[in-house]
Amino acid sequence: MRKPLLEIRNLSKRFGGLAAVSVLDLDVRRGEIFGLIGPNGAGKTTVLNMVGGTLYPTRGKIIFQGEDITKLPPHRRARRGIARVFQRNVLFRSLTVLENVLAGFHLRSGMGLAEIFSKRASTRSQQRVLQKEAMEILQFIRLDRQADEMAINLPHGNQRALCLAIALATQAQLFLLDEPLTGMDGEETEAMMSMIRTLRDERGITCVVVEHNMRAVIGLCDRAVVLDYGKKIAEGLPKKVVEDPTVIEAYLGVEENAV
Amino acid sequence: MSRKLLINILRIFVLAAVIITLPIALRSVYWTSVLIILVINILMVSSLRTIRLLGHISLGHVGFSLIGAYGSALLVMKLGLSFWIALFLGGLMSAGVALALAYPFLRVKGAYFALLTLLTAETFRLITWHWPRLTGGFWGLLKIPSPNPITMPLIGTITFDSVNSYYYLTVVIVALSLFVLYRLERSRLGFKWRAIQDTEALAQSVGINVMWYKALNFAIACFFAGIAGALFAHYQHALSPDFSARFGVLMSIYLLVYMVVGGDAKFTGPIVGTVVLTIISEFARELKEYRPMLIGAIAILTMLLMTEGLIGLPNRVKLWYRKLLKGTRKVRGSA
Repeated sequence: MRKPLLEIRNLSKRFGGLAAVSVLDLDVRRGEIFGLIGPNGAGKTTVLNMVGGTLYPTRGKIIFQGEDITKLPPHRRARRGIARVFQRNVLFRSLTVLENVLAGFHLRSGMGLAEIFSKRASTRSQQRVLQKEAMEILQFIRLDRQADEMAINLPHGNQRALCLAIALATQAQLFLLDEPLTGMDGEETEAMMSMIRTLRDERGITCVVVEHNMRAVIGLCDRAVVLDYGKKIAEGLPKKVVEDPTVIEAYLGVEENAV
Repeated sequence: MSRKLLINILRIFVLAAVIITLPIALRSVYWTSVLIILVINILMVSSLRTIRLLGHISLGHVGFSLIGAYGSALLVMKLGLSFWIALFLGGLMSAGVALALAYPFLRVKGAYFALLTLLTAETFRLITWHWPRLTGGFWGLLKIPSPNPITMPLIGTITFDSVNSYYYLTVVIVALSLFVLYRLERSRLGFKWRAIQDTEALAQSVGINVMWYKALNFAIACFFAGIAGALFAHYQHALSPDFSARFGVLMSIYLLVYMVVGGDAKFTGPIVGTVVLTIISEFARELKEYRPMLIGAIAILTMLLMTEGLIGLPNRVKLWYRKLLKGTRKVRGSA
């Protein structure tokens, strides 16, 4: 079997006396949609933060494409192909939809200090190429018509799609999606789920999804891991996992009669 | 489009003509020297706004100006360098210190950043005060020479010891600096600054090295503060580390007020603020020690009535005018 895209080994994070994540092992395979679920405070977002680099683990290792990235800062991880899609539509608020995607091209556009005195034809043509590519991405997520609108004026579902577009622009191979379906109605949820699937099917993008919505997880993910108090309590097919008695117990508590 | 371009060219032409003829028209050494300080302050406030692009307020801009001023003056006096090289090196020294301090400083935001920069500027000032061997201590640095004359083909030799010639020198250097700052804001670098100011976490996630770009911003702004300081030093021929002089806290606060009153949303804001407040403050000389009060009152009024600053005034007037028109039409309609 091929090596997994992302390997998490012995990962622990302590906040003072609280063990948010303890001794976690995970493998995310290339091209899969991987669900990370669990009740509130189970440590899902903490794991995502550690993979994205905004938090450093107390112990353990994170290996991406065979390289140890445990100590790299977030922007370096972005360079290696990890993109984060934040909870609650984190966008560039003062920029237009198109500019938001252009910002995602950061890694391919330089500082442009020469632009201070004159714009050379080569930089102009480079910018034209980037703009064209940005439009293609917007077409892909069906926001090309709103390209020149301010990003914050888009409806919720479209803003979330734009978040995906920014991540796409970075040409990342691994997307970290933090609750991509919260606050969406049925239709928006369906659209979002099919978009994530298309990302995987057409562009081969691997996704780690943190989600509360159980039905969505079953419908979307190829595999899921359930966390509770920072520990892995179940792993496998989403359909099987949610029927696991320990998982039900973690979500609903122990039946009193049984004790 | 060509018409718009024509109007713009005409505007720049008129502005340039006014700037060039002003000292000749005023015929007063006093007013020309006011203009020189005004132009230097414009560079100070505009570079202060560069830091503002990242959401930070620096109350220590005069501190970095001090480094440029003393740096440039000492390079000329002790090492015998030419003014033209010293001016640039003064800016670079200031930028270097800024870059070194950026990493610890830019980890904090808002009031903490303002406080840190304020205290740093005071530290720089007190160091010059307590280092008499190098900086002349509290007597200050005296007899700073004028810029070296330059010889150009066709025009001949230009000297800079008269007030008028120094005015033109300042205008040219500040105009060039403003041009660079303006274009920087609109370059890809400026675009990244905007992205960082919007959402740092997302900026990081698309691969922007947030810390480095912030440090660069701070260093660039302080470079121009240093240039402004050097221009000041070689004009005044003397520098003083006194609290009430050029490099005290009060000056920092004035710079901030100029920016806020002018409006920091647009590039022209700080320029308008500095010009208007300097003129008001000059005509209010009679008020003597009450002058700061007047400036304070103006600042408070602008913040209450025009949150965008003076730069938002034309738009406001347009809106009022439209409302007024509508009002009269309604009255007529009902009558």
